[in-house]
Amino acid sequence: MRDELLTGAENTWCPGCGNFGILNAVKRAVSALEERGIGRDRLFMTACIGCHAKIFDYLSLSGVYALHGRSVSVAQGVKLANPDLKVLAFTGDGAGYGEGIAHLLFAAKRNADITVIVHDNGVYALTTGQRSPTSAAGFEGPSTPQGNEEDPFNPLVLMLAAGATFVAREFSARIDELSGIISAAVEHDGFSLVEVLQPSVTYSNTYEEYGAAVDTVREPAATLDDALKLARQKERLPSGILYRVERPSHGTRLYGDRNPVAGHPSRDKRLERVNALVSS
Amino acid sequence: MKAEVFTYLVGGKAGEGVKKAGTIAANMFSSTGRHVFQMDDYPSLIRGGHNFTVVSTSTREVLSHYMGADLVVALDERSYGIHRSHVADGGVMVYNSDVVKDGEGVGVPMTTEAAKYPDAGLRIGVSGVAALSAAIGQSPAELASLIEREYKRDLENNIAFAGAIHEHVRRSVGGRFPLTPSAAPPGATAPGNGGRHMFTGNQAIALGAAAAGLDMYVGYPMTPASTVLHYLAAHEVDLGVTVVHPESEIAVANMAIGAAAAGARVMVGTSGGGFALMEEAFSFAGMAEAPLLCVLSSRPGPSTGVPTYTEQADLRFALNQGHGDFPRLVASPGTVQEAFTLAAEMLAMVWTYQTPGILLTEKHLSESRVTADIDVGSAAWAEPVPHKGEGYHRYRDTDDGVSPLLFPPSAESIKWSSYEHDEAGITTEESDTIVAMHDKRDRKGASLKQHLRGVRTVNRFGDDGPVILTYGSTTMSVMEALSAGGIGARVVQPVYLEPFPVWELEDLRDESAIVVEQSSTGQFATLMAERAGVRPSSVITRYDGRPFEPRELAEAIGGAAT
Repeated sequence: MRDELLTGAENTWCPGCGNFGILNAVKRAVSALEERGIGRDRLFMTACIGCHAKIFDYLSLSGVYALHGRSVSVAQGVKLANPDLKVLAFTGDGAGYGEGIAHLLFAAKRNADITVIVHDNGVYALTTGQRSPTSAAGFEGPSTPQGNEEDPFNPLVLMLAAGATFVAREFSARIDELSGIISAAVEHDGFSLVEVLQPSVTYSNTYEEYGAAVDTVREPAATLDDALKLARQKERLPSGILYRVERPSHGTRLYGDRNPVAGHPSRDKRLERVNALVSS
Repeated sequence: MKAEVFTYLVGGKAGEGVKKAGTIAANMFSSTGRHVFQMDDYPSLIRGGHNFTVVSTSTREVLSHYMGADLVVALDERSYGIHRSHVADGGVMVYNSDVVKDGEGVGVPMTTEAAKYPDAGLRIGVSGVAALSAAIGQSPAELASLIEREYKRDLENNIAFAGAIHEHVRRSVGGRFPLTPSAAPPGATAPGNGGRHMFTGNQAIALGAAAAGLDMYVGYPMTPASTVLHYLAAHEVDLGVTVVHPESEIAVANMAIGAAAAGARVMVGTSGGGFALMEEAFSFAGMAEAPLLCVLSSRPGPSTGVPTYTEQADLRFALNQGHGDFPRLVASPGTVQEAFTLAAEMLAMVWTYQTPGILLTEKHLSESRVTADIDVGSAAWAEPVPHKGEGYHRYRDTDDGVSPLLFPPSAESIKWSSYEHDEAGITTEESDTIVAMHDKRDRKGASLKQHLRGVRTVNRFGDDGPVILTYGSTTMSVMEALSAGGIGARVVQPVYLEPFPVWELEDLRDESAIVVEQSSTGQFATLMAERAGVRPSSVITRYDGRPFEPRELAEAIGGAAT
């Protein structure tokens, strides 16, 4: 039987790739959101370029397959144009934490009401395994055959410092937990970041490491300082919703309850307003 | 011919209220129904330096400022030195005698008078207004009511200060330049009685896009495009246009594509350097078939260049934006009125044909303030071809290449893509599909070109004399130069530059023509030679950041024509 959440496009992720876990978690989250009254017609997805982004072709949701590093910007444009939509921006560690890091920091800073799902496999997989912003020092790839000479970003600390109001981490193999986090992130009124620890079976197979290091966080940290402490842990990987706080979202602060698309004026109405300005 | 134009020039340091004085002068002239052209010359700084504003006014249409001024007001020593040579025959220099000793003209102790009040340095620009008021024969009472209308703060002190300066100037040149009001423009909605409205090019662009149904403007500040952002932001509520200022031009262009995918009529704006950052997204818009209208307002390049001055050296840049083959629209307005109609027309066209467009302009049009009759009702309205029925495919392969649009929320899956894709928007690497989609976009480009045949793509003025080719804001300079020099010529101004309206220019093939443009390499001249087969006999260029001066340009045209 055809899965109605899939387009039927041929899936070309490597067998065993962590991306399958993310795809399955998103599908479950979509079903859960529908049960809670958020229909899939209101869900809109954007993706960057990279292995993560192939999810755009597989998921039967409306959206924009954007440029490398730009899905977060496109997502914010969609959300500002029609705030009734729930926008999921998919990105990878290369696109999101590298090419598009400024967009991500600013989306967090302004509390843009979008959900960013980062497929973080610590490697540029689609371009054949170069080091990424989250690769460990010493990582050997075709651009760093002598070993990565840089230390990795801690993306969770970055996002918390930038003002993200919802920060979560989960391992792609824990599909139940991940789908719960994604649906909670979509329902969060403001910027949410879901960092997904995702093995790349071809370039960075981390299933065992992540499986052994993940600790479940039952409740978000009470304060930003506590959240930062969780995010800074290195040996263990606290996973779940690490931080959640309510703050007015960007759209609300920019224009209150206006909806630019739904409120698109009639020609007569608009000309009346332009005329008033021209004649003033 | 020159005598019918009165020119006022005021110069001083940034922060002294020079532009404000020029703006008040322009408002005073336009309120009597006179035509006015105001050009602000200012460096890229906030305090100090040298600013000046030139306001030329006439009872006929005036399309440029003149650098020979009837009344020059120099607020500081540097202005006196620079603008002495700009005093026209029979003109008057009013200068600050506190800082210029033994000057020629009317010395007024502006600093001494200003020192009687707080914030003397910020007030000194008021003396520019007071001197003008006296020189055109206004009474102290008329001046007081003018100050009351135009200065919101510290009214009492400003009126007292202006009155003192007025008295100094009145004694020597009071009433030297009486200005006759012009006939009230027919049917104009008047500010006061029978006055004319003034707009900058950027205001006209903003208003034109708004009149076409603009929902959202996304911009990052960059002179000389910033005032589109400022104007729309100031009128966000009364126009109902959402204005967003994100972190970079890259964010601007990508946000705009997202907004368009959600159904918002959207526009972005920047100058050359910012546009270089948007170029990646411009190509994205070509592939995703996103209706993206971009304002590109040029300043002298390359690189950071000269931020607050004018040039036309981004023509080739605009025509060649974006990697890959895809249809695009590029057009450049010649006047403020045309900026209004063109912005609306282009927004409508990018929505019909779902492809990116560039409204190319320059600082000289963007920031010059000109009397203009804007016919709001004539604006085009942006309305995409809507999808009807069931079975939606974002990139349906149609005869004219235009795929109907559907917006979320929708039960149908609507997929826009930066990758090559099939009709459903799913990524493809199949050779047949790649070809089919290229062909679809190319057919869309052909449909756009066919549509343009029904649009006014080239303006022509005059029916006798040598052919002069020009475009953009230089059109105004050429037209004013012809008036100033009493020269007859046939002026040809392509408004649309891509698709290039070769069908309108067939009669010029192998014809010799004078080309006038503001670039050092003659980009427009070579374009006209390549695309229209014109033979430029002479290319008159100016690339020092300043717009052409009408009398100087008239001389150059006269020289080229003989």
